Formats: sequence, structure tokens, C-alpha cells
Amino acid sequence: MRPSLLRDLHDVELAAQAAAGGRREYGELVRRHGSAVRGLLRRMGAAPSLADDVAQDAFLQGFQRCSEFRGQGTFAGWIKKIAARLYLKRVAREARYVAEVEADEADVVVDHAGFMDLDEAMKTLNETERVCVSLCHGAGMSHPEIAAAMNLPLGTVKSHVKRGLDKLRARLQPAQASGGRSTHVG
Amino acid sequence: MSADEFDPMIERLFAQSPRLADEALFLATVQASMEKRSRWRTLALTGAGLVGGVLAVREGVNFNFSADGETTLTQGVRTAAATAQGAAQSGLEGLGVGSFDLMDGSGMMAFWIVAGALVAVLAAGLVKLSQDV
Repeated sequence: MRPSLLRDLHDVELAAQAAAGGRREYGELVRRHGSAVRGLLRRMGAAPSLADDVAQDAFLQGFQRCSEFRGQGTFAGWIKKIAARLYLKRVAREARYVAEVEADEADVVVDHAGFMDLDEAMKTLNETERVCVSLCHGAGMSHPEIAAAMNLPLGTVKSHVKRGLDKLRARLQPAQASGGRSTHVG
Repeated sequence: MSADEFDPMIERLFAQSPRLADEALFLATVQASMEKRSRWRTLALTGAGLVGGVLAVREGVNFNFSADGETTLTQGVRTAAATAQGAAQSGLEGLGVGSFDLMDGSGMMAFWIVAGALVAVLAAGLVKLSQDV
């Protein structure tokens, strides 16, 4: 199938064809959602190279498990959950939760127009808060799902999400109120 | 900003992702990995099929029907087995190994050497595959 035709297909159609072994169709899904998955992992605190590595593993796993995706929710949400879980496993294996370092608030950059994007605001969160907020709002996972994935008590997860959102609200509010510019694409 | 206003905003911000500059490179990397895994899977399946096929032929050659309780069904199966055996033998002759007798000692030895080599290749493939995963 020509690339131009692939671009006209919906994610669900592409996933169905990928489940039947369609590598080109799956490639189109990677093209569409690769940046979003890598972006989510970076927001969770992964270094760019690690984020790319985990995202690649997630897409490869997604290709093998494509038949499990039946259009409940979005493909982006589905693949993001796979990526987030893989990242958590990788982090747990490397025991990176041992040291939680509070971000130095002076590191947060506010540009001349007063705009601070989400990625910069996320730097004000500590690692666990950042992961919890990203899983909740970036990967669309519920609090119990996050608790299970991170092996943390549900109440702790809720606290991390709430504290993280409070920090984001405090950081993003002035920028949003001043009508900051956006360089993001949907 | 109230929580009611903030929550949709944060959802929207998370839903927006910047297009990364090396998007094409990432896609190429994923596709290359998919190709590589596909090749290994094909190799593993081919190897498994080969081993299974060889075992099936060997069992077919060795199959010994009981003379007791002779029925039309067992006669038919025996005829089919003999036909398969003949086909396998002519296949071996076609490959230039017509003297290879699966029933004698040297033939069995050769069979197990080949089977062992295939298993070793498969094991190596699986190890490589697990490293890729």
C-alpha cells in the first residue's frame, strides 16, 4: 500500500492490518506516535537516549501484541501505557528510585515572553511526582494502575499526583494567564 | 486558576507532543529492528518445522502396525504409511542420498547429528533473539 494511502487510514485500521503482519502499516503508526511516546518518556524523566531505547522496545512489543488492541481507547494511549510500563521496569531494575533529588527551582527557565512549557514545568517535580503525573495524565493510567505498576501504596500515588499537579499549577498559571505561545503540534 | 479549569488544561498540554527532529531516524531504527526480528522468527520457525518434519518422517518410517485387529482402517493407514515411506525414500534418492537408510545404525547416527546441529542452531537463535528483546 502506498504511503499516501496509509496516511488516510485510521489508527484502528492500521493496527488491524499490523496485527495481520503488516509492517508498513505499523510503520505508519510508529511515524504518527513515535514522538509522542518518546516525549512522554522524557517527561517521565528518561534521558533522551534511554527514552528512545524504551520507546523502540515499546513499539516492537506493540507490534507483537497488536492483536490485543481492538480500538478501546486510542492507539496512542495503548502504546504509551506499554512504553511507560517498560520504562518503570527499566528504572526499577536500575534502582533509580533510591535517590530522589528535588529539582532546583532556579533551573526552571522562563523565556523572555514569560512562556514556560510543560516540559520545563515538569522539572520542578521530583522524580516520583514526575513519573506519577506523567503516568496519570500522559499515559492515561488510573491511580490503582499506577500503584500496581510502581509497587507503591495507592494513597502514596494519589499524594504524589496531587503534589505534582499543585506544583505544575503554580508554575503554569502565570504563563497560561499571560497567553504564552505554543510551539507544540497535536 | 481553579482545579476545574486546570485539569482539562493539563490534559491538553500532555496530549500535545512536540514533533522531534529525528522522527524519521527513529522510524527507520524501529523498522530495522522489526525486520531483524522477523528474520529470526522465520529462521526459528523454519528450523522447528524442519526438525518436526524430520521427526515425522522418521516416525512414519518406523511405524509398525499391529497385525492384530486388522481392519479396513488399519489397512488403509498402513497403505498410506507405505506410500509416505516410498515418497520419502524417493525424495532422499532425488537428493542423491538414496543410500541413506533411516533404519540402520549409521543412518540413525547421522539423523541424530543433524537433529542435534539443528537444535544447537535453534538454541543460538533463541539466545540471540532474547538478547534483542
